[in-house]
Amino acid sequence: MNRAYLGEFEEIVLLTAAALAGSAYGVALMHEITERTGRPARLNQIHSALQRLEEKGMVKSDMSEPTAERGGRRKRLYTVTAYGERTLAQIREVRENLWSRLAKPFTIALEI
Amino acid sequence: MNAPHPPSWADKLLSLFCAPHLLESVLGDLHEEFDYQVGKVGERRARLQYWREALGFLKWRYIKRQKSCYPFTFLLSHDMIRNYFTIARRTLAYNKVYSFINVIGLSIGLAAAMLILLYTKDEVSFDQFHANNPNIYRITNKYISPAGKQVGVMGNTGYVAGPKFAAGVPEIQAFVRYHGHRNDIKKGNEIKSEEIFRVDSTFFSVFSFPLLSGDPKTALREPRSVVMSEEMAEKHFGSKNVLGKTVLMKDSFDKDARFEPYTVTGVARKSPQNSSIKFDILIPMVIGPGEIQRATNWFNTFMNTFVLVTPGADMARVERKMNLVYNADAKEAIKEVAEKYGMKDKKQYTLQPFTDMHLSAELPSDNGLVGHSDPKLTYILTGIAIFILLIACINFVNLTVARSLKRAKEIGIRKVVGSGRGQLIIQFLGESFLLCMAAFIFALVLVELTLPTFNQLSNKALDLSYLFDAKLVAGYMALFLATGLLAGFYPAIVLSGYNPVKTLYNRMQLSGKNYLQTSLVVLQFSIASFLIIGTLTINSQFNYLINKDLGYDDEHLIMVEKSNLTREQVHLLKQELEKDPNIIAVAPKNGGRWNTMGKVNGDTEIQFTYETVDPDYLPAIRVPVVKGRNFSPAFPADSTRSVLVNEAFVKQAGWKDPIGQIVDFWYDNAKYSVVGVVKDYHFADLSEKIGPQLFTMKPGNAYGRFFVKIKPGTETTSLRHIAETYTRLFPLNPYSYKFMDDENMKRYESEAKWRQIMLFGTVLTIFISCIGLFGLATLAAERRNKEVGIRKVMGASVASIARLLTSDFLKLVCISFIFAFPLAYYTIDKWLQNYPYRISISAFTFLQAALLAVLIAFLTVSFQSVRTALMNPAKSLRSE
Repeated sequence: MNRAYLGEFEEIVLLTAAALAGSAYGVALMHEITERTGRPARLNQIHSALQRLEEKGMVKSDMSEPTAERGGRRKRLYTVTAYGERTLAQIREVRENLWSRLAKPFTIALEI
Repeated sequence: MNAPHPPSWADKLLSLFCAPHLLESVLGDLHEEFDYQVGKVGERRARLQYWREALGFLKWRYIKRQKSCYPFTFLLSHDMIRNYFTIARRTLAYNKVYSFINVIGLSIGLAAAMLILLYTKDEVSFDQFHANNPNIYRITNKYISPAGKQVGVMGNTGYVAGPKFAAGVPEIQAFVRYHGHRNDIKKGNEIKSEEIFRVDSTFFSVFSFPLLSGDPKTALREPRSVVMSEEMAEKHFGSKNVLGKTVLMKDSFDKDARFEPYTVTGVARKSPQNSSIKFDILIPMVIGPGEIQRATNWFNTFMNTFVLVTPGADMARVERKMNLVYNADAKEAIKEVAEKYGMKDKKQYTLQPFTDMHLSAELPSDNGLVGHSDPKLTYILTGIAIFILLIACINFVNLTVARSLKRAKEIGIRKVVGSGRGQLIIQFLGESFLLCMAAFIFALVLVELTLPTFNQLSNKALDLSYLFDAKLVAGYMALFLATGLLAGFYPAIVLSGYNPVKTLYNRMQLSGKNYLQTSLVVLQFSIASFLIIGTLTINSQFNYLINKDLGYDDEHLIMVEKSNLTREQVHLLKQELEKDPNIIAVAPKNGGRWNTMGKVNGDTEIQFTYETVDPDYLPAIRVPVVKGRNFSPAFPADSTRSVLVNEAFVKQAGWKDPIGQIVDFWYDNAKYSVVGVVKDYHFADLSEKIGPQLFTMKPGNAYGRFFVKIKPGTETTSLRHIAETYTRLFPLNPYSYKFMDDENMKRYESEAKWRQIMLFGTVLTIFISCIGLFGLATLAAERRNKEVGIRKVMGASVASIARLLTSDFLKLVCISFIFAFPLAYYTIDKWLQNYPYRISISAFTFLQAALLAVLIAFLTVSFQSVRTALMNPAKSLRSE
């Protein structure tokens, strides 16, 4: 395999960050993930996933302008890099490839 | 209304641990989430959640610090190190006085501590060199009163204990009796009295004294053999190679003894300095079997007996067995002695480890064993050493720190031009270690220089090489590291952490109220004034002791020892000596000090000092008879019927009319009547109260010395006359004389030693305290340079400015008295209790000490104050 390994949670964080398009930061990601996936995420998990992604070069971060709601603290905003985007696309491709090979996709059974 | 706040402790915890580059976003997220949750689930649960979330961030991932993106600077680059040395040299050279006192102060403290360490090490190492330790013991005994209380202990024994115990107790492998004696040695026509020791042949197998020549096993086997120290062999024969040669010797005290040849069977190496047994001549102990058989000899106590016990033996059992042997063997004698002398106390034998003797207060090494020292002295010395070291180290730290505040700007500049914190730490710690090392080296030099004087003071033969011992070296290394670290800590860790902008723009506000400095000065001066009071008290007590009227006239009084001086010899001696008109009186007396007891008022026992004199004795020493009369040749019956007693005796006996009272020596079946009362005089030294004293002329008691009173100013001619007469009359006795007033001075040698040690400690403490004070005053004066300038411009006088700068420190010195005085009062009061004749504690002593301390502090501080006050204000105000 010639792409970097991405954990399942990391993949979710990366995808969500891509979805939030430039306004992704800790709390926003947490709320989004909790809402969309129904799984409770904790802040330190999000932060460590973001750190790992940043180390792998799939996201990059910048500090925002200070906001009053955070006691004047700045946010660290994450944007997905081209490498990150490519990795996501690859993952998707692999999945779809595998799905397409199913003779009887489960969705049929579910429709009955 | 306040908006709910997240728990501040959690924030603090996070800011402490979390890496700075992550902290902001983490805290921001946490706070945002908290606000959200407060709205959702309420404040209480939000807080709980906040804690849970915050604690989730305590992971290595968030704690790990970010790597600097700037290039790494070499911590130990060659050029920088050279620069550090240059700067260190320049800062030291910039203020030479300060650097000098700083280093010297620490050196002196260290040197004092090293000396005292040497001393204590030597004390503790006493007698440790014997290979048979810890199995060598000394036979000691204690006395138990009928009530079961211990009433006394005794470290000495007689001839019997050693052989009987060795025979009766299987665990006792060997015994050595060690009896100090004097022998006259003849070399050509010259006769000299030398101290010798009579020992058992097991001496060299129990103790480890190496022989230069001779066989340690057989050296003391033959009765006429002698083992000499190398020094003695050198002195007597002029060579160390003397095996097989003969010496003519005889007992100094036995009047029938004749000179007999002794063969040298061994030459021993000089006894180690830290040995309780120090000998020049050893001869075998020859005792007739009769002495061992006589059971009353169990009660003799005139020498030391040592035993070698099987390793690992149960000492309590050995002691029990010893007492069984004693009680069985001495059964009759115990009864006999109890009847004859009315001894009610039970005697019990015990064993004392050989290595404990030297520092034992209760059972000291005595009777031929030498060098015993008071453990108290060791404690006090150690205390003084710790004080001095403490003051010196804190001084060093304090001065270095105070000094480094001036270098805040240097640190700022260094940081601006790119110095890392690590480099600053290395620089400042290195500098303080360098200073510390200089102090250590200097201290070693100081110790080497002062060691001879210290040896003389402490009566030791210490050597610097003692210090090179793994533990001591480790101790000094620890001290070195601690001092260097403490002194370098502040500038290295604290100052290097400051923002350069702060150190460069703001004036560092580090002066203010410096509690460390002020309390140190108070502590220093408390100790110093405590020691001053101690020294003053010891000094006046010492002067009191040596100047106190002893009740008799010891000036121009010569004492000459002559064993077994008979009545006829005294008669002849008087005739011959009094031919010289410069000799006023000649009076014989018993040798040594005799104590005995008698009964008065029928059945009351009274203990007293027993003096055998003749009618000339009391007039010779100018002691008046206050009631009745002196012995007199006009009453020939005096020698067999009459005694004189002193006033203390009369008081204790409770007599209203002492003349004619009877003193009953019941054990000798002799009764004497009192014919006169002698005025009390200090026949013993002043650490003793004048006790009952009784004078007799009993013909059976031998004289052991005589006193000669001479006219003032005729010392040379009289001494020559006495020496000539003595050698003519007693050619076989060694001649030596002593002046009584010198002898009386010598009795207070221990006080003299105390005085010297206290003086030494005081001077050192004061000196080091002054160094600290001087340094602080210098820095304070520099700091207030501008203030002084402004004051002068506004019209303050030099005197008022000097007063201003000085009074700060003098106040501290005065505060120190509050701590020092009560403590000093308590201590000297305790110490003076040891003396029955003592000075009273006067307020004057305290006043003196206070004045002295203030004066010293004033002189130290005022030098700097006056200098600062005299400075031209234009100069101090212009510089910035």
